[in-house]
Amino acid sequence: MRETAKQAMAAGGTASAMLETVDLSHSFVHNGAAQPVLRNISFTIRRGELVCLIGRSGCGKSTLLKIVAGFFAPSQGQCLLDGKPIVKPGPDRGVVFQEDALFPWLTVRENIVFGLRGGRAVRQARADEVDRLLDLVGLAGFGEYLPRALSGGMKQRVALARVLIRSPQLLLMDEPFGALDAQTRDEMQELLLELSRQRQQTILFVTHDVQEAVTIADRVLLLDRDSDGIREALQVDLDRPRDRTSEQFQLCCARLQQWLRQ
Amino acid sequence: MGTKDTALALLLPLTGLAVWFAVSATGTVPGYLLPSPATVGEAGLRYMFGTAGQGPYAGRFPGDLAASLARVLLGFSLAATLGIPLGICSGRLALVNRLAASIIGGLRAVPGICWLPLALIWFGIGIKTTVFLVAMAAFFPIYQNALTGARLVAPIYYQAGAMLGVSRVRGVFAILLPMAMPNIITGLRLGMGISWAYLVLGELTGVPDGLGATIMDARMLGQTDIILAGIILIAVSGRGCDRLLVLMMRLCFKSARRQL
Repeated sequence: MRETAKQAMAAGGTASAMLETVDLSHSFVHNGAAQPVLRNISFTIRRGELVCLIGRSGCGKSTLLKIVAGFFAPSQGQCLLDGKPIVKPGPDRGVVFQEDALFPWLTVRENIVFGLRGGRAVRQARADEVDRLLDLVGLAGFGEYLPRALSGGMKQRVALARVLIRSPQLLLMDEPFGALDAQTRDEMQELLLELSRQRQQTILFVTHDVQEAVTIADRVLLLDRDSDGIREALQVDLDRPRDRTSEQFQLCCARLQQWLRQ
Repeated sequence: MGTKDTALALLLPLTGLAVWFAVSATGTVPGYLLPSPATVGEAGLRYMFGTAGQGPYAGRFPGDLAASLARVLLGFSLAATLGIPLGICSGRLALVNRLAASIIGGLRAVPGICWLPLALIWFGIGIKTTVFLVAMAAFFPIYQNALTGARLVAPIYYQAGAMLGVSRVRGVFAILLPMAMPNIITGLRLGMGISWAYLVLGELTGVPDGLGATIMDARMLGQTDIILAGIILIAVSGRGCDRLLVLMMRLCFKSARRQL
């Protein structure tokens, strides 16, 4: 396990940086008073990297993810994707939400191709791609199901498939497995790691679960409501697949836990 | 529906019919107040299938139904055409809601029957008055339910749409309307029910044809059997329209088919 100082992390690897946030600050206005949530957040994510954002609830990690998604603009600072400022949501940044955000009147297949441009011919050509994706996320044969007939874990697989078909540069995941049971969560983490490996997918993953972060992340960033910038950063250099019972894994978790408690 | 459900659904109507038979057979209630089911059935059949000359109102039902249906459908379509877009806009746009809320809230507080005198002055006796009354009455439930439906669509669905590359304008048709569809249909069904109520009200004012006109006319001639037959036929027609409306919506919209 190697730990790098957070300044070095933040500055490091700009050459291959896919996502860069520059002095990002955000406040929500409550009853006329500005409540700062994020302060001077600067970090970068390299191509192919899987970065976990952790922090207690209310620390602004979901807010940060939504700013990167382009759902709203930060109060100050900016986000750059491949050097270009992010101004609005787009298919180059696929989002998987914690809640079920599938369209309930569309089948799994229709949910996956929802919003894709092009006429019937293009859709036909996409049909094979949908089949491959369904296979990839372990839902082969479920294409004609409606979301309400699926379990929570299956819905999240569909949510994943519908962003993957757009081959997003960046995959943004907002506590996507938070509502799932432990067994399903493990399966989904394995699926995600498989995708990240196969497709060299760059992923920003928000979670409050320390063990989840250490299981999947290349690097963990810790956010805190009161901190200026990213409070702590941890490079997780454990071999994959990671053994949760190993001493080093436990050490990583213990360190993050300790940071969270501070 | 299982046999048990069917039996349950028929239990009350059959009991009512049995009581009606008993009351008529024993002569507890005189026939001019409540004719026997047989008399009403006969009158109804004559009204529906008879030929002119077989008796009062014989064979007039098809013409009455056509006239009434035209009024209901015109008034209802008008209400839906205005109510759905306005409701959706009010549900999504705070500005429109603030603009519309006071006037629509105020108009809603006016009992529908109050419009009758005004409508008679404006439109005179005829189809326009009825259509106006029907549209006025059906508008509010349609508007209110469209508004609620639009307001209840969680922001996450727009975010999901935006993230998938669906523009705001396309999102209205691709996300907002389908999501609000169950509420829109509830509003349309309520509106359709009220349309029939106000249709009869509008037809009581001296138009020559229509189901409401016929039962009012039958009152003057003391034809209680025709009044009862007419009421039953209005109930059946109203119910038929409701079923047809749901069927049409399900046929036309995937979001109706899969969310109802």
